[in-house]
Formats: sequence, C-alpha cells, structure tokens
Amino acid sequence: MTDPGVVALVLTIVAPLLTSIAAGMIVLLRDKWPAESTISRVIGAGLLLSFAGSIGVAVSHFGWLGPRLREDISFGNWVSIGSYEIPAVLHIDHVSVAFSLLGATLTALVSRFSITYLHKEAGFARFFLMLGVFGAGTQLIAFAGALDLFFAGWEAVGISSALFIGFFHERPQPVRSAIRAFTTYRFCDVAFLIAIVATHELINSTRLTDLHQLAALAPLQVGLVASLLLIAAFGKSAQLPFSGWLVRAMEGPTPSSALFYGGVSIHAGLYLLLRTSPVLGAAPLVAWGGAAVGLLTAAYASAVARTHTDAKGALAHATLAQTGLILAEICLGLTTLALVHLVCHALLRAWQYLRAPNAIHDAHYFGHAHIESPPSPPRARVGPGMYLRLLHRFRLDDGLDVLVRAVSASAYSVQRLHTRFVAWWGVSA
Amino acid sequence: MNDGALSIHWAPAAIWVAVTVLFGSVLSQRTASVSRPMLLALWATATAALFATRADVAYLATAASTAILAQSTRAISRMGGTMLWVAAIATGVTALLLSRPEMATLAWAVSLLAIALRAGLAGLHPPVVALCRQATLHQVLQSASLLVLVFVHLRFADHIPQAQDAAPALVRLGAASALLFGLLAIAQRNLHDFLESSTLMHGGLLFAAVSAAGRGHHTAAVFVSLTMTLALGGLILMILALQQRVTDTALTAPRGLGRPLPRLAAGFSFFAAAGVGMPGTAGFIADDLLLHALWGESVAAMIAVTLASALLAVATLRAIASAFFGKPATVVAPDLLPGERRAVAAIVLLLLFIGLLPAVLTSATIALFGVQ
Repeated sequence: MTDPGVVALVLTIVAPLLTSIAAGMIVLLRDKWPAESTISRVIGAGLLLSFAGSIGVAVSHFGWLGPRLREDISFGNWVSIGSYEIPAVLHIDHVSVAFSLLGATLTALVSRFSITYLHKEAGFARFFLMLGVFGAGTQLIAFAGALDLFFAGWEAVGISSALFIGFFHERPQPVRSAIRAFTTYRFCDVAFLIAIVATHELINSTRLTDLHQLAALAPLQVGLVASLLLIAAFGKSAQLPFSGWLVRAMEGPTPSSALFYGGVSIHAGLYLLLRTSPVLGAAPLVAWGGAAVGLLTAAYASAVARTHTDAKGALAHATLAQTGLILAEICLGLTTLALVHLVCHALLRAWQYLRAPNAIHDAHYFGHAHIESPPSPPRARVGPGMYLRLLHRFRLDDGLDVLVRAVSASAYSVQRLHTRFVAWWGVSA
Repeated sequence: MNDGALSIHWAPAAIWVAVTVLFGSVLSQRTASVSRPMLLALWATATAALFATRADVAYLATAASTAILAQSTRAISRMGGTMLWVAAIATGVTALLLSRPEMATLAWAVSLLAIALRAGLAGLHPPVVALCRQATLHQVLQSASLLVLVFVHLRFADHIPQAQDAAPALVRLGAASALLFGLLAIAQRNLHDFLESSTLMHGGLLFAAVSAAGRGHHTAAVFVSLTMTLALGGLILMILALQQRVTDTALTAPRGLGRPLPRLAAGFSFFAAAGVGMPGTAGFIADDLLLHALWGESVAAMIAVTLASALLAVATLRAIASAFFGKPATVVAPDLLPGERRAVAAIVLLLLFIGLLPAVLTSATIALFGVQ
C-alpha cells in the first residue's frame, strides 16, 4: 500500500500544477471567459491541497502518525539515457519541510487575500494562473532531491515572478522593471545551469545527497561550482551587485510583493545555498567571499533604507538587509540559525507587505494618532554627497546598465550585418 | 507490423503525432496558400518516411515530402522554394548514396548539409529568413518536415565514425550560430523579425544537437528538434492569427493587445516560453539534454548555447511586453476562434505531455537507436 506521507508529498507539488493546467484549459477552450470565482476556486483548490499535503509531509516527517518519512524518496528517473539521468527524487528533512510549509502557507493565504484584493481587476485570471505555477515551483524547490529538479522549480518561480512585476502593464514602468528583473534572473540562471552540468560531469550525479563528493575534487573545480551557485543565489536573492531589481519589483500588486519579495522568492537563492551547503563547505574561500557580499549587502541596504520615504521601497531595503545577513550566516556555516532566521523573516515581511497599503491608508487618514510611534533609531550624520549617493542607491543600476548597453550595441551591430547580408542574397524586407 | 519496408516503433510514432498535430493546426488557419491535397500529400510522405525501415525508402519519402513543400512554397517565396528544392535534391541524393556502403560518409555529409540549409545555420540562413518573411505558414510545414528529416538522418545516416570525429567542430559551429542569432533577437522591433531570429537561433541549437548525435546523443537531438517544431510552430500560428486581426506587427511601442486578445496573448506567451526552456514543457528537457550532450564535445559551445538561450529568453519577454502589454488597444476582430483554440490546446498539451513525462519519448528513442 502506498505510504500516505508519499501521497501527500506528491500532492504538494502536483496539485497546484495540475489545477493551473486545468484552469488554463478552461480559459482557452470555453467560449465564455470564466468568472473570477471559477478561476479562484480551481487554483485555490490546488493550493489548498498543496497546503494540506505540506502539513501531511510534516506530520509524516516527524513520525506523528506512523513511520517517519525522511531522506530521499525516489520515484525512479524523470529522464534516463545511458549514464545520464535526472532522478525524480524528493528530499525530506527539517529544512525542506520548513521551507515547504512556509511556501504553502503563504501561497494559500495570499491566494485568499487576492480574491478580495484583485476583485474586478483585469488580470485576475492571469494572476491566479501564475500563482498556481508559482505554488508548484515553490514546492518543487522545497523538496527537490536533485539540482535539475531544483532548477525546474527555480525557473517556474522566476518566470511567474517577472510576470507578476509587470502585472499592471498599462504603465510603462512595471513592464521595464519586469524585463530588468527577468534579465537579471536569466543571466544568473546561466551560472546555475553551468553549475548543474558541471556537477553532473564531475561526480556523475546531481543528487543533493551526493554533493559532498565534490569535496574530493581539486579546489579549483569545487571552487568554480561553488562560485556559480553563489552567483545564481545572488541574482535570485538580490544580493550585490544584483540588488537593483528588488526595488523595481515593488511595481507589482501587493499580494505578489508579499509572497515573492517578502516571503518566498527572495529567499529561494538562500535556500539553494542551504541545500548545497556541502559545496560551500568544501570551498572555504568562496564561502568567505559569499559572507562578505552578504554583509556588504546588509550594510548597503540598511544605509539606503534610511533615505527612502516610500513604504514599499523602505520595506524592500529592509528585506535586502536581512537576506544579506542570512547569506552571511549560511556562508559561515550557521545553517540552523540561517533557517530559523529565514522562516521568521519571511513571515514577518510577508505580513508587513500585505499590511503596507492599509498602513499607508491609515497614515493618510488618521495620521499617527492611533498607533504609538516607535522610537526613532539613532541617525548617523552624513554629508550631502553621501546622502545623494544613498538616495541614488550608489548608482548600482548604472553599472549594470553599462553591461546591458554593451549587449544591446552588439545586438544592433549584428542586426546591421544581418540586414546587409540578407539583402545581398536578395531577400526583401 | 513489419513487412520489410514499414514498421511501427514508438519513437517514429511520437514524432508522427507531433507532425500530425502541427499539420492539423495549419488546417485551422483558413488560408488559400496551403491546400488540403498538398497537406495530405505532405502528411502521407512524412508518415512513410518516419515508419520506413530502409534508409533509401525513408530518404526518398523525405525527398518527396520536401519537393511537395518546395513546389507549394515557390509560388510565394522564390528563395525559400528554391532552398527547399535544393534540400529535396540533396535528400534524394542521400537516398542514392546510402544504397552504396562506401558512400556512407558522403551520404552523411549531404544529409547534414540539407539539415543545415533548412535549419538556417549562420551563413546559409537567408532562405529561412525569406520563408519567415514571405511564406510564414509554410515555415510551420517546413519545420515539421525538417523534424522528419532529422529523425531519418539520426536513424540511417549518422552511425559512421566520421560523424564522431567531426562532432566537436560541428557542435561549435551550431553553438556559434545560436549565439549570433540569440544576440540578433535582442535588437528586433517587429514580431516577424523576432520570429526570424528565434527560428534561426533554434536552427543553430538543432544543428549543434544533430552534430552531437554523432557521439550517440540521439535523444537530445530528437528533443531539440521536436521542441523547435512544436514551440515555433505554435508561435508562428499565433503571429499569423495576430496579423490577421491587427495587420501591423511592429514592436516599437507597447501595443496593448493583451486585453482585447487575452487567449492569443496567452498562447503566444506559452509557445515563446516553451521555446526558451520553460519547465514543464518539452523545451526544458531539450535544453537539459542538449547542454549535457554539448559538455562532452565542447564546454565553450555549452556556455555559448546557455547564453544564447538566456538572450532569446530576454528578447522573448520584450516581445511579449511590446505586443501585449500597454494601454489596452481597441481591436474589432475577435480573440482566437474555436478552431484556433483547439489547435493551440493540442500543441500546448503535447508540449506539456512530453515535458512532464519525457520518459515516454526517451525510452522510445533509446529502444530505436540502441545507443546511450
């Protein structure tokens, strides 16, 4: 008989995915555009099942209702060609259970919140479809027992994240922000992809439980894999020098900001490093570098947050400061502390983001009369030059813009050559 | 069934399903440029090529299929039609050469040349550009027909030592082509131009994958060609549907077409995303297998392909944003019609099925090719 814990595990990932496909087919094939209630019920059911499954996995993992569910649960191979395989393996431990519960709870809550928040919004169906994809991606990230599976969830989260940023696409700024965030994601994903292929070729496996084998390799090889994983994590978790996209990401609707940039997505990079901590452990120099970047990000974000007067911008930098600290903790080997920090931070921030519109509303209508203002933190005096730098976030984006402009310039050069070459062949425009 | 000339295997059957779905989808486009008898003839010859167990029969059927397509295309795109005629002749010549064992190397080279020509490898790409610009719907058929040629090539022409020796150099050529056209995609300001660069970038990937198959990576080549055919086929159908409704396909400013044409926008976005390896679709598996295959031949090629895919992904989001985002446009024409929606649903489900359950296809290709 199939173990109920395993059924719950499968349900956690598959339910939101299948309901997203079902909702997509309803939208596509029905003559009439489906009502908000239809879409939210279908997707909501998937997310609720995923949430229930996540609780079921936790119950099984802690052995409260029978034998304990832990370590690798194998479902054979997703792909198997000779010596190359992508194992369909899910990994259960306290880290994955914690992240899964966090993701499933926040996604289900945000789904319920959004039914009211986005009522009669033009992109209601789009929002919920992407929420389902995100839910499946998050659970796949949480339980992936191999880097390839992790990457599949990682990509699903990345694509939905970019589309959420551009949700209010009638205005040009959210669209530009979505493209910027997606560009950052994709170029950091290049590093992740290369790390996966390299890991497979070096130790003939991408299972998380086999990653410790990398420690036996030459320092340069393991250092390279660790660096690539760090770059991937920097992009997803908005660490320096890729921090610029996070503030821009606040253009998205509040529920998605809460879920992505307060709760789950922003922590996905850190979670990757938690899962691959044996690699970082085997490359101490790279780990120290990662810790330095984390601390720098925390210092940078704390300083910049003090010049921001908008609620979401200040929240974004506060988030960034904490993720920087979590990164440093992971790189210094304090993984349990990092996990506790990550979960607590995600819950607090998600609540703060969800509360932000009401807080602004209350502040406008009631001033600060109804709440006791917290004591102001001591303020360091800075000169006007530094103040301007902080206000412009040290012009970090300008540096990346130089790179973007160089790529664009190359693209236009290629286009000019292409146009001439094709015209020479006699192909008309 | 196995009567000596035809047999039923799962791998060709899977390819056949993809080809049939695409041909069926083309039927949903109410256009005079593709006649039903021509489509039926194409489908019949493609079927014969896929299920033939003799190399010469398979290649002759492929040549016939390409010739039918060439004849139909030449009236609309002279250069595209000519290229297809050249490819048809090359395929026919391959059939003749394969009947003489001492000519196997030449047969492989000619067959690979036909693939390079039809995939639009850098330097040979203008005819594919012409097809994309002048005979867009025919490009769907040419892409489906190319899938058949790739399959026949992998099955009958690829098992020679020279293919192994040439693999690293050819893989680099394909990867360089993919990177070049991935970069080109960034500069595009028109949906047709975007389609053109996307097709050419995938062509580079396909050539790299077919070249790597010389070292036994047949499954990667099958997945890459299948993804290219289905995702780009779907994308072309969406672009044509859009063109029928709004005429102008420029991307210079946000067009705001997502609100009036939501299903079309969703279909376009899905196919575009599948083409750049969205997880859950065949594209994800194709990318994964291709990178693994390339690592063994050339790490530089693997990095180039990864970068090309990232560039195309960014260009894809920009294209989606320009076409469908922005202040809602006023469009009198309806969203996708029921026939078009069914065609989209069929391709979407096929891409998802192969992406979520790739073992169905991988085990079939391994059973057929018997390597790796």
